[in-house]
Amino acid sequence: MIETPQGNLQINGLSKSFGGFRAVNNVDLEIRKGEFLTLLGPSGSGKTTLLMMIAGFLDISAGDITLDGASIADLPAEKRNFGMVFQGYALFPHMSVRDNIGYALSVRKRPTSEIKARVDGMLELVQLQDFADRKPGQLSGGQQQRVALARALCFSPPVLLLDEPLGALDKKLRVEVQEQLKDIHKRIGTTFIYVTHDQEEALSMSDRVVIMRDGAIEQVGSPYELYEHPTTKFAASFLGKSNFLQRPDGLYALRPEKIDICGVDSAGVGPIRLTGNISSVTYFGSMQRVIVNVVDGDPIEVDVDSWRNKQPLTEGMKVNLSWQKGAAVKLSRD
Amino acid sequence: MQDKNFLRETLQDGAKAFQDGKLDRRSFLALCAATGFASATVLAGKAEAAAKEIVMWNWGGQSEECHGNAIGKPFEAATGLPMRFDTSGPLQGKIKEMVDSGNVTADVCDADLFDAIALGPTGHLEAIDYDVVSKDKTLPNYALDHGISIILYGYAFVYDTKAYPTAPNSWKDFFDTAKFPGKRSLYKWANGSLEAALMADGVAKDALYPLDIPRALAKIKAMKSDSLYWGSGSEAHSMVVNGEVSMGMVWQNRGKNIEADTDGRYKLVMNEALAMPGAYIVPKGNPAGREAIMKFIATAQDPAAQLQLLDCLGMTPSNPAAFANIPAEQQAYAITSAQNIDKVAFNDPVWWGNNSGDAVNAFLEAIS
Amino acid sequence: MSTLRNKLKPGWLLVLPFLALVVLFYLGPILNILMLSVTDPAPGLANYAKLGESDALARIMWTTVRICIVTTFFSVLLGYSIAYGMVHSSTQKQSLMLTLLLVSFWISILVRTFSWLMLLGNRGLINNTLLGLGIVSQPIEFMRNELGVLIGMIHYMIPYAVLPLLVNMQSLDMRVMNASRNLGASGTQTFWRIYLPLTRPGIVASSLLIFILSLGFYVTPAILGGGKVLMIAEYISVQLLVTLKWGTAAMLAALMLFGVLALLWLMSKFMKLSTVFGGSTQ
Repeated sequence: MIETPQGNLQINGLSKSFGGFRAVNNVDLEIRKGEFLTLLGPSGSGKTTLLMMIAGFLDISAGDITLDGASIADLPAEKRNFGMVFQGYALFPHMSVRDNIGYALSVRKRPTSEIKARVDGMLELVQLQDFADRKPGQLSGGQQQRVALARALCFSPPVLLLDEPLGALDKKLRVEVQEQLKDIHKRIGTTFIYVTHDQEEALSMSDRVVIMRDGAIEQVGSPYELYEHPTTKFAASFLGKSNFLQRPDGLYALRPEKIDICGVDSAGVGPIRLTGNISSVTYFGSMQRVIVNVVDGDPIEVDVDSWRNKQPLTEGMKVNLSWQKGAAVKLSRD
Repeated sequence: MQDKNFLRETLQDGAKAFQDGKLDRRSFLALCAATGFASATVLAGKAEAAAKEIVMWNWGGQSEECHGNAIGKPFEAATGLPMRFDTSGPLQGKIKEMVDSGNVTADVCDADLFDAIALGPTGHLEAIDYDVVSKDKTLPNYALDHGISIILYGYAFVYDTKAYPTAPNSWKDFFDTAKFPGKRSLYKWANGSLEAALMADGVAKDALYPLDIPRALAKIKAMKSDSLYWGSGSEAHSMVVNGEVSMGMVWQNRGKNIEADTDGRYKLVMNEALAMPGAYIVPKGNPAGREAIMKFIATAQDPAAQLQLLDCLGMTPSNPAAFANIPAEQQAYAITSAQNIDKVAFNDPVWWGNNSGDAVNAFLEAIS
Repeated sequence: MSTLRNKLKPGWLLVLPFLALVVLFYLGPILNILMLSVTDPAPGLANYAKLGESDALARIMWTTVRICIVTTFFSVLLGYSIAYGMVHSSTQKQSLMLTLLLVSFWISILVRTFSWLMLLGNRGLINNTLLGLGIVSQPIEFMRNELGVLIGMIHYMIPYAVLPLLVNMQSLDMRVMNASRNLGASGTQTFWRIYLPLTRPGIVASSLLIFILSLGFYVTPAILGGGKVLMIAEYISVQLLVTLKWGTAAMLAALMLFGVLALLWLMSKFMKLSTVFGGSTQ
């Protein structure tokens, strides 16, 4: 077994420029040992560039990366000992599943018996015991994804980097694999750094999420913190849906499901704050999405749980909107 | 002759590329120059035989212009039939293929007399009409049923005067690399080379035939490590002037050019040169008809025409009536000049015609 | 599938005349050659029997195969390096290199052959320089021997070797190479264990291409070999044009044809394998 280092990764003032373009701009981030950290952002936000610098495939323009206190900025990719699951998996097409998984140990010239034992363990972890002798081309997308994961974990890296690993899978399979990934993370306790542009994935899997925008960090926090207390309009709208209310003292974000909708004559969960006409109702089974045109300001989106729906909502109906104190969160900036 | 034909085909490809605009003019001319062909010859492509003309099948280059002036012009003046050229080289295999396919496009081939022996009896050639053509206007053995010698060319050698203060003067000297150390070049397709080897081995120049091939090959193999073999006149020329060999077998008419190109450093030796009868042969069923072509051949026997070819190409007249009129500056190079005629050996076209296939293969196998 | 077949039908009708032409003008002569090899000069297998009887034929074939193998090896080796360099250059440099490579296709083989004589001949640039500097006392014999033939042929073949390799290398997913490095493999390990196996289809394709092209080589051996390096293509042409032993020529041509067909069959096997491997990880 390879000794597992601590896995505490510190990023200080990290930047990457391509010509005049700053893909990553002065990023500071501490990644704690064993956490599942997600870099979330739209394409072009710098999340993949950041990951590639951590992996060692891109040179650093400015700043430093340290692992347990020692700088790794000048270490080539092959010396960093970070596992990585690539977009599209990048499996070795000419090698069997077994040889793919054992590759890291094989290039480190470990004894054959050790490699075999370790690979068997990994095959069991990802439940591919029966596929050891197949070529990657003979596997399904989900199976290939698991091979890529096993290959990256086989040498017990302190940190595992995952670059949109579920991007190639269909939605149903993706949810299933998300569960497996979480489970494996819990069992092996390796630090996971996960890049995605899918907010649901980020929310459901991560210990902490880093929202990135234009090469910089927009906000860092647990999924709960980010969802409940977004600090910027970008964070509030990228992670979940949000209404924005302009008040004299600033801009507020209000999640659609926190608004109660009731007839003009009945009371809601809190004081009545707005009145308007329903302009559309979309039925989703467990909930309905209602758009309400209000006199002053943008139309308000309200998500109503179907079971709470005391009276049928129809277009043109005049309604009151109410919410509890504190449901609208004041934003610090755009 | 093999390579020369290939060079020509390459050139014609080049000409096509040039005409198609794929090759610029300069490169094309350089290509022509590098291989010793006139660009016009190549561009003209294959001449097609029609009823009212005589098509000569030859190797192109200068010989086209020379034959045109020496024979074509007087013939056209006399008969009104113009002379055209197919310059793709009348190798035996090509003549055979042309006649066998029934698509005969050439009237007369500027070939070797031994080709008449190889192709005549198999029905690929028209018989020469000796009522029109004269047997007396060539050397005695060189008027055959299916071909007649018009000019002679020969295999002689040149040597480097700087390398050898004592001049070599025979094939014996040529093959003696102990006495005359240095590289040699020989003709690749056996003829000339076999005869030279036998003369070097002590066979008298008038007792060469039938050739003792094993004896000749033994002599040639003994010198193999010091020998290069050429397939075309230009290659023989360049091997000498580029200093690749210190003695080189060449076609005798090239000897004059080599002496000029090297400012006399290389000198031609005509002693024991092998005289080769170049001949006109007529493919069976030639388009212009037998009568016209026989008149044409008769025209080529005229001493004036033959002397003009000597001046233009360095090819030696075969008509004895022309021998006395060989000009002074050609005396040293012409095969049948008074100065050389008794020193040279004469090729036997009958032996070659019957044995060339086996001789060439045996030679090739010995040198490769 | 059956609807696809139906759609193809009118297409087949359209190409039918051309197929007939191909059969007539391509297969016809080939059959003719095969016929000739067992009928000229007399019916029977005498021409083929010569293979066993004649040391010279065996020697010529061995010379041919030897030269083809050496040419193939070095052309592919050098072509691989060039293709590798091209793939890993900037787009600008890559297109410049590709242009230079293609330009060499337009230079006549004859010009190239004579250029080698000027460069490497006894009084060529290299030998004159070496002699002038006193490094050697006798000119080095690069030309007019088998070495000369190999130099000329390898030079001619390199562009042909580069192209299939280039296509192969360009299609590779560089993430796979990154994955190897990420897993701790050095550059050398990555090359031998990942890059080289993934470029195997390209290596096989260009090797077979070079080998087959080399078999038919004619001018370069004739000139640069100084007459002493006789390859099968030249020998065939002598039998056809000079010695009129068409049966022998046809037999050798048939032999080459079957040899090439066998190689192509091998090639098709490898090409199929390559699609199984996929070159892709999906």
